[in-house]
Amino acid sequence: MKLGRNMVPLALVGLGTSLILLVVVVVVGIAWYSNPPFGLGDAPPQPIAFPHTVHAGAPEQGGQGIQCEFCHRNVTKGAAATVPAVEQCLFCHQQVTGTTETARVEIAKVKASFENNTPIQWERVHRVPDHVRFVHEAHIRFFTEGETPETQLPVSQVCSVCHGDVAGMTVVAPKPGQSLKMGTCLDCHRQNNIPTDCTVCHQ
Amino acid sequence: MSLTRRNFLAWAGLSAVGAVSCAIPRKEQELAIESPVRLPEDLVEGLDNWYATLCRQCPCAEGVLVRVMEGRAKKVQGNPVYPVNQGKQSVRCDGGLQALYHPHRLAGPMQRSGPRGSGQFQAISWDAALAALGQQLAANGSGMVLATEPLRAHLGLIAGRFAQAFGGKHLGFETLDQVTLRAALESVYQQPLLPDFDLAQANYLLSFGADFLSTWLSPTRYGQAYGQFRHGEGRKERGIHVQVEPRFSMTAANADRWIPIGPGWEGHLALSMAQVIISEGLQAPGVNINAITGGKGAAALEPFRPEAVAGKIGLPEGLLEGHSAADVIKELARDFAKHRPSLAVGGGSAGAHSNGLFNLKAIYALNYLVGSVGTAGGVKFNAGLPLNELPSNASVGSLADWKKVAADINSGATKLLMVHQADLAYGLPASVGMVQAFQREGLFIASFSTFLDETSAQADLILPDRVYLEDWGSDVPDPAPGYPVLGVQQPVVNPLSDYDPRSFGDVLLAVAQQQGKAANLPWATLRDALRESSDKLFALRRGSIRAGSADEFWRTMLQRGGWWDESAGIRNVAAPSAPAGLLAQIAGEAAAPVFSGPEAESFHLLPFSHNSLLDGRNSHLPWAQGAPDPVTTVTWQTWVELNEHKAKEMGLREGDVVKVESAAGSISGLTYLNPALPPDVVGIPLGQGRRHGSEYASGRLPEESSNVMDLLDGAQVQGSGGLAWAAARVRVTATGTSRRVSKFEGTSMAREIGETPGERIIHITSPSNSGGH
Amino acid sequence: MATERIDHKWGMVIDVDRCTGCQACVVACQAENNVPMNTPDRFLERRAYEWIRIERYWEGEFPKVKARFIPILCQHCGNAPCEPVCPVYATYHNDQGLNVQVYNRCVGTRYCINNCPYQVRFFNWWEPQWPNTLQNQLNPDVTVRSRGIMEKCTFCIQRLRRAELALERQEGGRINDQNLAERNLAPACVAACPTSALMFGDQNDPNSKIRPYFEDANTHSERERKTRGYRLLEEMGTGANVIYLKKVEQYPLKQGESHG
Repeated sequence: MKLGRNMVPLALVGLGTSLILLVVVVVVGIAWYSNPPFGLGDAPPQPIAFPHTVHAGAPEQGGQGIQCEFCHRNVTKGAAATVPAVEQCLFCHQQVTGTTETARVEIAKVKASFENNTPIQWERVHRVPDHVRFVHEAHIRFFTEGETPETQLPVSQVCSVCHGDVAGMTVVAPKPGQSLKMGTCLDCHRQNNIPTDCTVCHQ
Repeated sequence: MSLTRRNFLAWAGLSAVGAVSCAIPRKEQELAIESPVRLPEDLVEGLDNWYATLCRQCPCAEGVLVRVMEGRAKKVQGNPVYPVNQGKQSVRCDGGLQALYHPHRLAGPMQRSGPRGSGQFQAISWDAALAALGQQLAANGSGMVLATEPLRAHLGLIAGRFAQAFGGKHLGFETLDQVTLRAALESVYQQPLLPDFDLAQANYLLSFGADFLSTWLSPTRYGQAYGQFRHGEGRKERGIHVQVEPRFSMTAANADRWIPIGPGWEGHLALSMAQVIISEGLQAPGVNINAITGGKGAAALEPFRPEAVAGKIGLPEGLLEGHSAADVIKELARDFAKHRPSLAVGGGSAGAHSNGLFNLKAIYALNYLVGSVGTAGGVKFNAGLPLNELPSNASVGSLADWKKVAADINSGATKLLMVHQADLAYGLPASVGMVQAFQREGLFIASFSTFLDETSAQADLILPDRVYLEDWGSDVPDPAPGYPVLGVQQPVVNPLSDYDPRSFGDVLLAVAQQQGKAANLPWATLRDALRESSDKLFALRRGSIRAGSADEFWRTMLQRGGWWDESAGIRNVAAPSAPAGLLAQIAGEAAAPVFSGPEAESFHLLPFSHNSLLDGRNSHLPWAQGAPDPVTTVTWQTWVELNEHKAKEMGLREGDVVKVESAAGSISGLTYLNPALPPDVVGIPLGQGRRHGSEYASGRLPEESSNVMDLLDGAQVQGSGGLAWAAARVRVTATGTSRRVSKFEGTSMAREIGETPGERIIHITSPSNSGGH
Repeated sequence: MATERIDHKWGMVIDVDRCTGCQACVVACQAENNVPMNTPDRFLERRAYEWIRIERYWEGEFPKVKARFIPILCQHCGNAPCEPVCPVYATYHNDQGLNVQVYNRCVGTRYCINNCPYQVRFFNWWEPQWPNTLQNQLNPDVTVRSRGIMEKCTFCIQRLRRAELALERQEGGRINDQNLAERNLAPACVAACPTSALMFGDQNDPNSKIRPYFEDANTHSERERKTRGYRLLEEMGTGANVIYLKKVEQYPLKQGESHG
């Protein structure tokens, strides 16, 4: 079939439109799936293989049962949970030097960091964008000091709502299926009758 | 998924975000979390700490709190308990943060590698730098000059003793010096320290040339009091403020009435007012007129009858509204005498004429007549600090002193010049010849500047000082708030790891030690000296801090930003009674102002301290440069203020580049048409025209950034030796070129509809309708 | 722990008669809120960023001339003209009386800036730039606005949120004028102002200094008011949460009286 002369522009318009649509779909797709609130991938390799299982895991499973807030001590005080200072690791690791070869190697790295005065550069696992101000302290307090049983949880249980069972992870990964997008925040705020005003998080 | 409105918006919005995030990769550092190696006890990430210290952006050294997060200073705010500024701050205070993290800060010690003044330096180690300085001191210490900003308290003590130990001298440098003001106040009130002016409780404030809301002496303190003066709690009537000044300054703009007087005639007006008060018997009860006039009464001031001076003092026709100028003087005198407590202050250009000392004496003598000496709402006097060794009075060199320094360099008597935040090459009139003296063979200049400026660009050796937020220090406010105060400055952050500055005080102490001249300087560091004073104050057991131990006292002092003793205020300093025959004596000193420069078709030049740059010390700070001048709203440039009509007569429009010529030199600047300037006056701010150092200060064209000090010929105030910086006449000519003025006014234009846009915005009422505040 | 939430309605009172035009508020705001640097070019382009600015108006001619200063910032209108024109709800009125700009919703149509009678909104035509070292000063509590985003005064919402967390959630107290000032949590401009021309507080707090002015302004027409209060361009009915106090013209003086 021969295209009528007057149909050529129409076809071009159609082609153009579908090209633009394709670009939009691709861009939106990339944006949606690569957006940082979604997490940064599964479990990035860390400079020091720090097994949360050994430190925070339950004693009956071979862990030390250390509470989250013992190391992430800022979590009950301020906005950021913070990773502990190397100094704090050495409170124990002056004595505890490891029972296996791998442990000895990894613990030696911590000591070296302290002695050489070089900070450890951890890979980020959870991240919200810069325009979000998430205050850990307020969330922990709400769920630990409330008046109903649902808001009188131990700290570690509050953490696991978003972070999953970190105590059971040898390598920290995002909680499967847990989005850190705004919708998740809003759902929880609504359930607990917390203000959902934009300025609560965006300042 | 159904396409609801919200979903659509989310998708549309995200596609925009997606486009952006595809184009700009996320920064690496956002993806790492750093474990600090050590965690100081007071550093909790995400929580802020506020430390009390002192601000050094202007000479009044306000007490500030600095917000520190994760080891970085984030915000400066007034310290609410510090007596000088009581929690308030000036436009300059936050600038300290930019000084701290300035991209053009000097990283470490340097020595000159090119010819003098080329600004070429090479980095050296601190050991080498200190050795070089020590060598110079050993060889040329006697006759050495240590030039600093006006130093008080511990650093003043150390600098003074240091210079003495090496047989040199220490001089403080102020661009627009207060030498004349100090001399006048001491002569009239017989008190060595600057007094406190109790604006807050005054009812009528008469200011002659003192731009006290912007830059004069202690502007934040006066600003705070000014708020009280206008609508303080428990105040019955709003205070009345009259400003007598030949230039329309920011303070004049705030006055209820502005009286543009001929430059230099302030003293005549003041004595004329005194004549009216005495002859009409308006003085406050208990004022002994006989004593103050030497027994002559009004006759002592006969030559100053309003009718006699009215013709001289240059009151413009339009102000009189059919009255004679003499009537205006009489009205002013009556208002001043009747609305007690009334207060007269003088400074600025009033004291910067050949007859400046006379002007200021006459102004301050007025306070005796209205009973405002040593009383609430008047002049209050300061007792010194109980620690006698600490200088509370800045040791400032007069113009004569600086001329002597230049002469000594030229004669070879001074072979070593040490400079700390005293920009002599920039701030002294060219006629002093300081820059020429710097070229002398065999002169060694050591600078302690944190930034490159005009003087440190001439230096042989630069030993960068710490920024005050990284350093120890102290201050005895001058003027003090009516009682003794010792302000304490403590380091709130450490320098960034790329920088290796050393504290000026510590370097002086270390060098004195190294040269075996430390007999009078028994401290290893400035902090030790502070601690010693803290222990002495603790032993006094009085004042604002009650502590059980010396350590606790020290910690509390650091927490609060200082120590003060309100009980040792006005009670300890008896109000002086007027010296016998004071008015007669002042009348005898009366003289007409003398001007230099072209007489015909010329203007009075009135330079002034810039609201945020001051004398140029803040010109490297973007916030200070970008803060609009309150009256003209000009930023970043040197503007030449001219009367609107006069300028139009001369064919000048805004932004026209004009050449301003005096007897001493010429500069150029951009015309600004000011509707409020007298037609025979031109106003030019200090602070621009740098050719060295930070590009924020030096990176602009010469026609829009120049140094007004280049126009001054170094005339002196008779009797005080201060710089008569308002005594030059200049000629203004168009150059034919034009540049746009970077000003703020006109930025928001939407509302400026109609003839007088201000009326819709600023509503006005009369005092009778303003009851209940 | 306090579970009860306290309703706030923030408000500011600006005494025009105390403002001296000193610019302390302007720089304090820039330091607190990561406002982009105003280089000379920004002024030449008439695009300087000043969330709070001092306007200066001339009145009369030499020598009977006056310059009058007035600080202008976002009026946080109760009935804000900028809000209905935003196609993406990036600007809205929240339950504490604030007019809020949500940066992450903003798509940069700039309709709001055109509809604002006070000209207090600023559009980021460029990516904000600071030299590397100066970035150390940036306030981590405040979002740095990127290119294409509208920004404006927030009443220092980051400080108010800190105040709510620290004073009300953690300590179980109530925000008032005193503890805002003592904890350095009042808006930066208010804290800076030397003459206390700027006053800030909670309109719902019966003891707040600002409350009488709002009560008066909300119940009386401008003529019948006992205070000097007025709203900027009040005839537009924007219901601003900023009240100005009139400038007082002292002259001519009442004669012949003496104040003891």
